Amino acid sequence: MSSGSLGVAFAVPVLGTLVCLAPAATRPTVQFGVRVPPERVGAPVVRQERRAYYWRTAAVAGCATAAAVTLAVAVPGHGSRWLVTIVLLLELTADHRCFWLAHRKIAAVKEADGWFAGLKQTVATDTSWRTDPPKFPVRWLIPALAVIAATAATGALRYPGLPAHIASGFGGRAGQTPKSFVSVFLVVAAQLYITALWTGFMLIVYRSRPDIESADPRASTLRYRRFLAALTRALLTLIALVDVSLLLVALRNWQVYQLSGARQVLPLLPFAAGLLLLVAVGLRTGQGGSRLNGNVHSLARAGGTDRDDDRFWKAGLLYVNRDDPAIVVSARFGAGWTLNVGNRAAWLIIAGIIAPPAGLIVIAAVAGNLT
Amino acid sequence: MLLSIEPDGPVPIYQQIRDRIVEAIADGRQPVGSALPSTRQLAVDLGVNFHTVNKAYDLLRQEGLLRLGRGSGAVVRRDASSGPADPAWTQDWAARLRTLLAEAAAHGLPATDIELKCQAATADFDFPAAATQAGNGRESPP
Repeated sequence: MSSGSLGVAFAVPVLGTLVCLAPAATRPTVQFGVRVPPERVGAPVVRQERRAYYWRTAAVAGCATAAAVTLAVAVPGHGSRWLVTIVLLLELTADHRCFWLAHRKIAAVKEADGWFAGLKQTVATDTSWRTDPPKFPVRWLIPALAVIAATAATGALRYPGLPAHIASGFGGRAGQTPKSFVSVFLVVAAQLYITALWTGFMLIVYRSRPDIESADPRASTLRYRRFLAALTRALLTLIALVDVSLLLVALRNWQVYQLSGARQVLPLLPFAAGLLLLVAVGLRTGQGGSRLNGNVHSLARAGGTDRDDDRFWKAGLLYVNRDDPAIVVSARFGAGWTLNVGNRAAWLIIAGIIAPPAGLIVIAAVAGNLT
Repeated sequence: MLLSIEPDGPVPIYQQIRDRIVEAIADGRQPVGSALPSTRQLAVDLGVNFHTVNKAYDLLRQEGLLRLGRGSGAVVRRDASSGPADPAWTQDWAARLRTLLAEAAAHGLPATDIELKCQAATADFDFPAAATQAGNGRESPP
């Protein structure tokens, strides 16, 4: 058993739980990637497919977790990590199949019964979103930046005293890497990358289209504001906790403390706590604040129905609309956002996400060859 | 201001955007001096082409209702409180109203129904006390 295989084994139930719970956070007028008019949200096919999805994905998560833990414990050495990774990929494939089964059945009934026939399909916006835009909670970045500064300072203090070879990465395998500026401070670069990536993405989200319901534009704009504020704060907390996890891994690699056996996953706990918080906030608010009521419940309703936009969502999950200037749009499944891959600017963002780690791998490889 | 359009409806999208903004100015939701989103922002929020919003804003600029600036974006240039209407505009509006009434007559709508509908629509908007006369062809300086 290695800490690497335990880490992947930990991801199996986490992924399974997230996928299983996703319909609970999704907007009720989008069921498994199918746009549904508000009066059809409780249709028999929707209720039936939701129930079937929960059972199917729960069974997938249970089986995959049992298989992953068994492999992580039973298979010795490095091979278990790859076997558990294969289990994770199989779980992901099975989960997508569960989604697709529900999607296909609901879409077929919607098409056959003409759910949108005769409905006034509208797109609504509240211009106050632009004239009085929400403010990004910059202060919530301070913990993450403080952890990064602490990591860099500890690395600088430990650097002279480190041996010629140090432990590398998260894995508990015997892998050692020559001591160099790059190998020691790689963790700080990883912290900076994660923090900058998610902060940058959220800054784009703050300038993007709010998720507004045509039937209730004013109230849904207020709900979206509360959703965005809550989810951003939870995400920035998660980022700070991921940085703490990376700091704990770095401290072990820099021989500040030692862990063995199953305890090697302890540095993952802050990350797990942050993820739990984010999921809890996502489930409480629902996509775009669809589960929030409170003081915005009594506002007047406008009376339109959200436009049937299924044709722009490939496989029910991927948004491709060349005529839409939006780069980031609300996700179709679960709570959060996704990219409009029909927009060229979205590909620049994807390139921006891939470039830093790819560059770091190249730099690390070159530095490794030079030393 | 809430702005709602029917992307798949029979009326062109730029016309719908223009009409909704005129209605918002008329009912006091967008008073003179108030800001509207930039063309790019409104295009993103409605999921329509940038040029569509540009066309609507340009139409409103030509009609004297919006002021478009590079830095300040779009700002409402006039409303009911900004004084009497331009006589040339009033004449043009009267011609369009005539066509609209002709359509109603051709479709067999009784004059009393037209009056009732006009009264109902009038109640939705803010009219200055003297402006009711301007619509009757009163000549006034721009």
